[in-house]
Amino acid sequence: MTVSGRIAYVLDPRFPGGTSSAVAEELRAIAPLCRPAVHAVSSRMFAGRDPAPPLAAAFEALGIDPVWDAGTISADTVILHNPSFLKFQPDFGARILCRHLIVVTHENFLRPGGQEAFDTAGCLGQIDRATLALRKSLAPISAHNRATVAAWGDRFGLPPGWDVLAEDWFNICDLPMTPPTVAPRDRRGRHSRPGFEKFPPPDTLDLCFPRHAEANVILGADLMIAQGAPAHWQVYPFRGLDLARYFGMIDFMVYFTAPTWQESFGRVLAEAIAAGKVAISDPATAAGFGGGVIGARPGEVDGIIRAFVEDPARYTGHVRAAQAALAGFSAAAFRARFTGLVGARIGAAA
Amino acid sequence: MILIEAGERTDKAFDAKLLVATQLAARGHRVVLDDRTRPEKLERYQKYEAASFLADLGTVTLTRVILIGAESVGQETMMGLRGMRLGAEVAVSVVGRFADRQSAIAARAKVAYAIGREPDLVDLATLQGPPLVASAISPLAAAPTPAPPDRLPHLFVVLPQEALEDPQTLPILSAVDNLPDYRLNVILPGKGKEQVKASRHAGLTVFGYSELSPAAFARLADIAAFFGDGVPGERMAAFALDLMRSGRVAIDCTSGGGFLTGGAPVLRGPEEIAALANYVQHTVLVNRGEIGRQARKSPWLTTHAVEALESALGLVAAAGVAPAPAPAPGRVVFVPTNGIGLGHARRCTLIAEAMGDGADPAFAAFPSCVPLVRDRGFDCLPLVQKSPDHPEDHANDLVNYLRLRRVLRAGDRLVFDGGFVFDSIHRTILEHGLDATWIRRGLWQAGQALATALDRERAFARVIVPGEAFAELNTDRSSGAHVRSVGPIVQRLRQPDAASRAARRVALGETLGREVGELVVTMLGGGVAADRTAQMQALAAMLDARPGCLHLIVVWPGAVAPAGLGSWKNTRVVQTQNALALCQLADLVISATGYNSFHELLYHAVPTIFVPQMATFMDDQERRARAASDRGLAETVLAHELLLLEREVRAFLDAGKADRLRSALAVVDLPAPGNDDAAAVILGKEQR
Repeated sequence: MTVSGRIAYVLDPRFPGGTSSAVAEELRAIAPLCRPAVHAVSSRMFAGRDPAPPLAAAFEALGIDPVWDAGTISADTVILHNPSFLKFQPDFGARILCRHLIVVTHENFLRPGGQEAFDTAGCLGQIDRATLALRKSLAPISAHNRATVAAWGDRFGLPPGWDVLAEDWFNICDLPMTPPTVAPRDRRGRHSRPGFEKFPPPDTLDLCFPRHAEANVILGADLMIAQGAPAHWQVYPFRGLDLARYFGMIDFMVYFTAPTWQESFGRVLAEAIAAGKVAISDPATAAGFGGGVIGARPGEVDGIIRAFVEDPARYTGHVRAAQAALAGFSAAAFRARFTGLVGARIGAAA
Repeated sequence: MILIEAGERTDKAFDAKLLVATQLAARGHRVVLDDRTRPEKLERYQKYEAASFLADLGTVTLTRVILIGAESVGQETMMGLRGMRLGAEVAVSVVGRFADRQSAIAARAKVAYAIGREPDLVDLATLQGPPLVASAISPLAAAPTPAPPDRLPHLFVVLPQEALEDPQTLPILSAVDNLPDYRLNVILPGKGKEQVKASRHAGLTVFGYSELSPAAFARLADIAAFFGDGVPGERMAAFALDLMRSGRVAIDCTSGGGFLTGGAPVLRGPEEIAALANYVQHTVLVNRGEIGRQARKSPWLTTHAVEALESALGLVAAAGVAPAPAPAPGRVVFVPTNGIGLGHARRCTLIAEAMGDGADPAFAAFPSCVPLVRDRGFDCLPLVQKSPDHPEDHANDLVNYLRLRRVLRAGDRLVFDGGFVFDSIHRTILEHGLDATWIRRGLWQAGQALATALDRERAFARVIVPGEAFAELNTDRSSGAHVRSVGPIVQRLRQPDAASRAARRVALGETLGREVGELVVTMLGGGVAADRTAQMQALAAMLDARPGCLHLIVVWPGAVAPAGLGSWKNTRVVQTQNALALCQLADLVISATGYNSFHELLYHAVPTIFVPQMATFMDDQERRARAASDRGLAETVLAHELLLLEREVRAFLDAGKADRLRSALAVVDLPAPGNDDAAAVILGKEQR
């Protein structure tokens, strides 16, 4: 199976974290289907930084030589990843000519509570003005991300002529599956980048990682290390612990963020499931995993963990089901979706 | 309590927080600054400004957090906000001048992540338009200040440091300083003030940029002219704003016309300092009222009004914060310094007692003076004494500033008695616009450096110079209509007649369990200014050989007498505040020559041998003593003249010298005491 037509990717490859990892996975996944051009944009947002390591590795592995800051980007389908990289500049700085422009919305447009997450209108406006296309689409990456795009569109209005793709442009989670333990213990942990948005208020953290737990492992706890963490927490800075070792220290991934921010996809939760752990998060974030992540309030975490510890069979059953659900985010699933979206011919010569 | 925070933890951001805190506090809001955000190095004046706001957040209940400078919210600030664990009842406002929509969204989001809920956002770019100072962190809102009293207009000239490089600047300013139609004040940044004070133009009144808050400057100024390339920073911009809002005149003399191009209702003045005097004289002074009225009508000023900021923040100004005349008459608060002894406090109580019914004066005094003041029936707020144990030499004065600031308010009268005007007193007078009187005895020693001491004289509405008993001693270092000389401030006790004196000596003897055939009183001080142990021991030894002689060594309560005096059978050490009553009974007094003791002994015709104390920081006691002895009204013996002292004691007690001096003192014509006059001057009731 191949995809016909020229395909161009547009992004700032210096994006740290999820976006670059997701695009790197994506490029590897579609390699059997097509050989896209990759246009790198030097946005103001990441001035002075190097390309993200996962993307650089993917470029090298796939033999992709990105074109930096082309004046014109033309292809049948142009896929622009994460428009928020334009938020600190007034214009796009290039022209895009294509049949179909797909803008993958890695970041939520609105934060919980309805505040704008970034200057979405400004970023989409830049892209809109720079692009001549038969169709311009937004591609949300998850159900929650889609909801914020829709809510933003209802409030502020999408640029004229734009639509929202019906299916999610999900992050590929082709992760090796580790079987769950048969003797779960109250060993809790969380890992994330160290940003303030990734952490719930201190009171919530206290609830999630109590003194009576056998272990509380927080990886990416740079904030707590700076402020002084309770003695019953094992805190490690971001990248301070190998992920495999971290997962070996816990049986439950308890992941809450600042109430004013929410993951658009939640790759850390997928990683925990793949590592054979029970993942617990807020209901909205959990909703994206089809029951694979347990949605709860912080006050309910203790009870949930206790119930699983007392019933190891239920623990293993839940993890296996969650791992099975992750298949929906596989590279194969993405290829099928990609072929459907990109392969469709838009417009034809009269 | 409202906590003022800033996006970044820099010195500049802290200063901006101070500006906001001061302004909001003046509007009646209860404001605090997080003590942990205090920069390591804080200018001395900033410490005074910050002292009343700094707080340990663990001890206050916050109702609101206002975060200024939110264009850039640093990691440390976010960490601080997160660590506060603010409850939902604490409103959080994010204030900044956001260049674009993304900046505002990012600022709000950062704070939202740190506190776990959404803050309110105030975009000053929308509220006020372009800022006067491009990189300003504080909101720069204009608040009205109370009108200065009806007096000669005060012109403030704000100069950049570079202005002092022009050799003509200071001579021009000195010429302006001598114009009769207004009084000149200069504001300089950095070391500018020290530079001027070290020049021959030291007589100019100079302030540092941060010596007073902008509101305090605005309270003092009628006209301000700003020089330099552009608007000279946030503090001076805030000063100009308050001035304009108060209906007074701001003149933009900057080369870039920074105020004018920013839209502020200022006058465009000359860029040359040399042209300023004529401009002020012929353009400003004649139209001062109208210029102020027009400025106040400016729509630009309306958008910059503090009320607009309060409204955007959802703050309700506390009732009664609008400047209002203080109820008249204000309270009179005496602040005597504690010098070598308690002389300043004693003098102040004498004046306070002369104020009569209705004045109800009160005191703020150092611990050593508090009992004396309270014993005289006055309320007394204790101040803090300097101590080598304090971390900084002015640490006590910071506390005193807070205490004075709390008890004094506009309309009160502050009376300071002392040689050096502390920062606490200077600032309190200027910040509250107090009617201040400086009681400053004369008789400076030749060559004493008084520049620093006298530099602050202009903060006082008047200086009272208590007179000396002898005319040639009445010299002072400053002059002018504000300097009022009054007669000697002296305690007056009724003179006992011979029978009463005899009876009281018998009573004294009974109290001490011994006969009082002869009474000698020694008052040579508490040993702070000079060690008089040798003199006291010599006197005790000499008087021990005189049968029936009672030798009292009198010191202030709490003072330490030299050890070993108690072994002399005729000598007793007495701690009392009422030394004069004992002296009236004495056949001879040997005394230091401080102002109070000298005049009390003279006015009560007590035969005295004066042993002057001399130190660089003291008045000229030897001149004072010799003025009396040269007239045959006392004897002067210097501290090292122990043999002469012995001879004189014998002459007084055995050769009739004491009686001769007593007779001479009884008929000498001394000036009328000035206690009543000094009280009248302070209360504005003097007859001139």
